[in-house]
Amino acid sequence: MKKKVIAILLSAVTVMSLIGCGSAASVAEAPQATEEAAPAATEEAAPAATEEAAPESIGESVEGELSVTIWDEGQRPGLQQIVDEWSAQSGIKATIQVVDWNNYWTLLEAGATGGELPDVFWMHSNVAQKYMENDQLMDLTDRIAGSDKIDLGNYYEGIVNLYQSEGKQYAVPKDIDTIALWYNKTIFDEMGVAYPDDTWTWDDFAAAAAKLTNDDHWGYAIAPGNNQEGYYNTIYSMGGYVISDDKKTSGMDDPNSIKAMKLFTDMIAAGSCPDLATVSETAPNELLCAGKVAMSINGSWMLAGYRDNEYAAANCDVAVLPFTNSPDDRVSIYNGLGWAAAANTKNPDAAWSLIEYLGSKEAQLKQAELGVTMSAYKGTSDAWVNSVQCFDLNGHMKMLDAKLVFRPYSRDTTVWEDMMIEKLQDAWTGDKPVDEVCKDIAATMNEDLAEE
Amino acid sequence: MKKKISARQKSEFLWGWIFILPTMIGLIVLNIYPMINTIVQSFYKTGDFGKGNVFVGLKNYEKVLGDSEVWQALWNTIKYAIVEVPISVVIALLLAVLLNKKLKGRSVFRTIFFLPMVVAPAAIAMVWKWLYNSNFGLINNVFNIKVNWISNPAISIYSIALIGIWSVLGYNMVLFLAGLQEVPRDYYEAAEIDGANGFDKLVHITVPLISPTIFFVIVTRIIGAMQVFDLIYMMIDLNNPAWKKTESLVFLFYKYSFEQSKKGYGATVVVVLLVVILILTVIQLIGQKKWVHYE
Repeated sequence: MKKKVIAILLSAVTVMSLIGCGSAASVAEAPQATEEAAPAATEEAAPAATEEAAPESIGESVEGELSVTIWDEGQRPGLQQIVDEWSAQSGIKATIQVVDWNNYWTLLEAGATGGELPDVFWMHSNVAQKYMENDQLMDLTDRIAGSDKIDLGNYYEGIVNLYQSEGKQYAVPKDIDTIALWYNKTIFDEMGVAYPDDTWTWDDFAAAAAKLTNDDHWGYAIAPGNNQEGYYNTIYSMGGYVISDDKKTSGMDDPNSIKAMKLFTDMIAAGSCPDLATVSETAPNELLCAGKVAMSINGSWMLAGYRDNEYAAANCDVAVLPFTNSPDDRVSIYNGLGWAAAANTKNPDAAWSLIEYLGSKEAQLKQAELGVTMSAYKGTSDAWVNSVQCFDLNGHMKMLDAKLVFRPYSRDTTVWEDMMIEKLQDAWTGDKPVDEVCKDIAATMNEDLAEE
Repeated sequence: MKKKISARQKSEFLWGWIFILPTMIGLIVLNIYPMINTIVQSFYKTGDFGKGNVFVGLKNYEKVLGDSEVWQALWNTIKYAIVEVPISVVIALLLAVLLNKKLKGRSVFRTIFFLPMVVAPAAIAMVWKWLYNSNFGLINNVFNIKVNWISNPAISIYSIALIGIWSVLGYNMVLFLAGLQEVPRDYYEAAEIDGANGFDKLVHITVPLISPTIFFVIVTRIIGAMQVFDLIYMMIDLNNPAWKKTESLVFLFYKYSFEQSKKGYGATVVVVLLVVILILTVIQLIGQKKWVHYE
């Protein structure tokens, strides 16, 4: 009798645990993240399992309603307004959920593994290739071909190409960013240095930083962990490169790349840029907002932060980045998000309709007007310049006319990017010469790329 | 001869199982299954989104053993534990003894010391990050010093351990307080007649009598300290010069598994941690016979 009861209970337990994890069919194929973040529940067990994971869920596809997930709280109010307009036309409810950058990718991956992605979400260059190759994103090729609102020729090329894999298009470009030189007018006035303008070279920039440095503040602060808002621009401006076009070899050991890196390490050594310890504890944008630094190189996505900071709004402004030899080699490393839909969404038509609307000229104009971001649709960003009164956003706007270089990426960008950031520490602190560090990075990066 | 089971026994047995079933299911689904799965994964080179895993045998383990970053992370974790566990246990024990006496505002003090335990670790880390900030931080400005608390590779792990001590103090203290309730007053009275002072009473009566509690606290705290992650994750960035000297094993696991999507290798790193914790715990279980007195 006892045996029988145990047998029944054990099989009950087994069955329950199977329902609980849904995809437990193959132990090896279900990483543990599935259970922690988004239980891949079978249809019947869905309500219980979903409730349990609700606070950690990224929003999943529910019939008749669209879930939209993004990672930037600053953009939510404006985007919700645009999405509401679409809802008014289509009669379908759509809510935007915000998950911060780090958790976004953890949860998105868990969602993709468990087949519970939100309907519509942002894609980024770091991981796009992986999601496209594994058929996680809805193939939009035919829908775009049949649409009168979307013509991929209207968007910046690099962003369109980014979301392409094997001739298929998986996302519609959302926005574009440019990098520009933010500066503190008050410190420039105090030190008697002329404001940066479009005649500056990188050498002028370094010289100005030296003049702007005293006991109270530094000339320029580098963001050691953020390549796009810093040395990548200089590397390409000086004729170097980070990754080859075929994404097989690293360009960090190129003499021009090393020269570009040396510009910054020399500034740190000279004291016109704070040392690594300082910038790792307090980010350059925080230093700028605190009046501790005269210049900071930032992306256009930082606008909301500066606008909402009283000190920055009163004292700071923005100019174009310097060039190396002639204005032709003024470089802005750009990136752009894409609107993508889940391949297994329960509302494919509604999801496409929303993406089509978000990519339309009308919505892209609106996005710029509301000051959410510059738009990926060429020629719609002029309105963005007037979205904020306290800064002359032409600094960012004019960078669109500079040489636009798409942010270097490969299939597993984070692997070598993290490695590069870690290794560069020795260069920033001066423990090792720059060229040695760069050559070391190139060697490791080549190994990483070979593994992809 | 087979013993006949009465109806009552049968029903007790059945209900017993039914009552522990929810916990069992929870444990199996949330703990045991992921644990086995992690060990299984450590033998694979995992593909994207759980598809296309390739069995690689012991390759991941070979790589771990030769990976200096893993050893550095293990050493960082041990340094953290060596500082956090003994100091937090000793201070908590002394506090518990003090707060066990009749004292004005006793419950207020108990609440104050327990509060850090209630606050979310992320919030604690954010506040301490600003206290420690070398340029604008309260600590450096009040004492007018210039110490890079969290960006000097030589001291940052200890700065973080300090926060660890502060935040587990209350938890350890409450456990010790519970243990102290069990100590009969007669022993102290007898010792006083023999002329024992406060220190003697602490060392010869209190500590031996609550040694099971001390043992429990030490075992659980070592396990907890070896798994330190959230404090470090919140305070140290990839571009912090102290990064390599503060990265803990769980942090390394997080980095590989979730940031770089190398789930198989990440799993191997935590299996190594599991083995280390197992060894430490077994040593303690053997060692306890020498100093833990169960009555």
